[in-house]
Amino acid sequence: MILMQTIAIFVDAYRELNAKKLFWLTLGLNLLAVIIYASIGINERGFTVLFWTLEGLFNTSMMSKSTFYKFEFVTWGVPMWLSWGATVLALISTAGIIPDMVSGGTIEPILSKPIGRVRLFLTKYLSGLGFVGVQVLVFSVGCFLVLGIRGESWEFGLFLAVPIVLAFFSYLFAFCVFIGLVTRSTITALLLTIVFFLLIFVINISEALTISSRETAMVQIEDAQEQVKSQEKFANKRIEQYQEQGKAIPGVDGEPLPPNFDDSLEAVNPTLSFARENLAKAQRKHDSWDTWASWFSRVKFVLPKTGETIGLLERNLIDDDELDGFIQMMEDLSGENSNQQDPRVNERIEAVYDARTMTWILGTSFAFEAFLLGLSTLIFVRRDF
Amino acid sequence: MSAVIDVQGVEKMYRRKVHALRGVDLQVGAGEIFGLLGPNGAGKSTLVKVLMTVISATKCKGTMLGKKIGDKSALTQVGYLPEHHNFPKYLTSRQVLRHFGAMSGVDRKTRNTRADELLEVVDMTDSASHKLGTYSKGMRQRIGIAQALMNDPKLVVLDEPTDGVDPIGRKDIREILLRLKGEGRTVFLNSHLLSELEMVCDRVAIMVHGLMRQQGTIDELTQGRSGFRIKTGSAIDEQTIDASKAAVPGVECAGRPGENTIVFKTNDAQAVQPAIDALRARSVVIESLGAHRPSLEDLFIKAVNEHPDGARPGAQKAKKGKRGARS
Repeated sequence: MILMQTIAIFVDAYRELNAKKLFWLTLGLNLLAVIIYASIGINERGFTVLFWTLEGLFNTSMMSKSTFYKFEFVTWGVPMWLSWGATVLALISTAGIIPDMVSGGTIEPILSKPIGRVRLFLTKYLSGLGFVGVQVLVFSVGCFLVLGIRGESWEFGLFLAVPIVLAFFSYLFAFCVFIGLVTRSTITALLLTIVFFLLIFVINISEALTISSRETAMVQIEDAQEQVKSQEKFANKRIEQYQEQGKAIPGVDGEPLPPNFDDSLEAVNPTLSFARENLAKAQRKHDSWDTWASWFSRVKFVLPKTGETIGLLERNLIDDDELDGFIQMMEDLSGENSNQQDPRVNERIEAVYDARTMTWILGTSFAFEAFLLGLSTLIFVRRDF
Repeated sequence: MSAVIDVQGVEKMYRRKVHALRGVDLQVGAGEIFGLLGPNGAGKSTLVKVLMTVISATKCKGTMLGKKIGDKSALTQVGYLPEHHNFPKYLTSRQVLRHFGAMSGVDRKTRNTRADELLEVVDMTDSASHKLGTYSKGMRQRIGIAQALMNDPKLVVLDEPTDGVDPIGRKDIREILLRLKGEGRTVFLNSHLLSELEMVCDRVAIMVHGLMRQQGTIDELTQGRSGFRIKTGSAIDEQTIDASKAAVPGVECAGRPGENTIVFKTNDAQAVQPAIDALRARSVVIESLGAHRPSLEDLFIKAVNEHPDGARPGAQKAKKGKRGARS
């Protein structure tokens, strides 16, 4: 009976979406995205769009077809289409699943059937995810075929997009379901979920900026420490020279320093005081950015890691050599370093993000989802309709 | 009579303020058509929803089909038509029946066959492929009834089944109810239409103010209230009523000045004769004399009038709402 009821709920969810024309509309848009993906390519003469070739330096001698399509998939297909376009479409399609179910007159006949409320609620939730799963699968199959036929590489790793995008969507959908259950309004659930999505985006950007500023300040501290050290060395050398010559150590004004003067180094080398001042300034800057970064990290810890979850696909689909090669190639093409940032800062930032393991990213995100879903289930189970 | 529904002391308090059910006792026997009536806000739908697990009772003791109230497994043998239902408008009636059949655990083959049979029973075969969104209220009500029968239930609970249905449709529904009874099923009806209930119900219960005020067969409920009714040719005055009362000492006599009916609460025809003589002596024209039995409407109005607070929805607010344990 459990299987029968589960199938009935999934079929009903499909019919509901089908009635709103959303299922086929979203599927059509996914196929359109695949067609756009297939229409852009690369050959030995240059960049291709449909039947036209834009001749130039960017051709297969610089990058293989398979690498081009993989990059296209991870830089455009997933972050732009699946993470934004398709996600918003999927939210529009599925936001009504719970509010529609709990509306007066609809919920009573369902609850009077021999199905537990927990199972009913979670199956409804899964039916929404199932819809998105089908859409991502269609997109991934399309891209897989394009990569195989046009890129001459059968990349099964592409299908990682299905669980990864599904995990990413599930964080947002759990929030949407919670709001939909509490407010019983589709439009409120949809709008607040989009606001939540943007909020996560803003927090991600803010955290990235504060981490970048903190690490920049840290590099400045290192530089300033070096500077202080070298200026101190220089001052010590001068003092030694004065002592060897039997002369009194002069102060800034040229007069001998009084005995027991507490900082003879700065007196013989005024540049040292500037270096020390710079170090203190960098330290204060670092402390300030560190406080902000810590706050954002704490906020981010409890929220789902949307950006990092999508980033997992890039980590798994493209290896570091390919990625480095691509970055180098872009720098060569533009004739300058595409990233003006100190490489030491980049290394430090990378280390911060690399420390965030897949377990941390998915674990904390799923914990957030489980909390919201648990709370929603509790509300659904205890509510009188 | 084995009880299909047997509950005692059902209580429901909403948000620690509104005491919707205040200790309801109810017994519904197997194979009978049971009617539940009461004014708006009496708690009828709340009671039905408690039985159907749509809401949880604050306190509840008892069983339905031998299983504890709230036990979902009992619902495999129950069919339910809610009041103000809103079945998916994007489905055809056949799809609605098959969907709810599957939700009740009916296997694919059986639900396909049964859906077609029930569409015929509710006279909706011709519209079986049309979407519910195109149906009238009466047609949706018919599909709702068919939906409640998809799992071949032992107990059918119908909340206002004739709501929005035209007189021909009502007659059809009455026939369906009698047919269900003939098949040995128990039917629990919740309705405002007293005449409908009177025509089909074996037993009724009147609920007022969250409490069951009366319960039994219509004969049991009217026992002691039947008698003889004299209809006069013109309006009677107080003296005439007093003269009639004086002529039949020991017999309860009811009549109102300005009306033309006097009722004597006795089943003994002989005892009424002196009253006729008294009326004739006052030259009152007697148009008719006949046995009187109160209608369900009379019983209902009497029950409501005895507990006037029950007529107002939400009137039963608890002064100190202490929520009991959920059942």
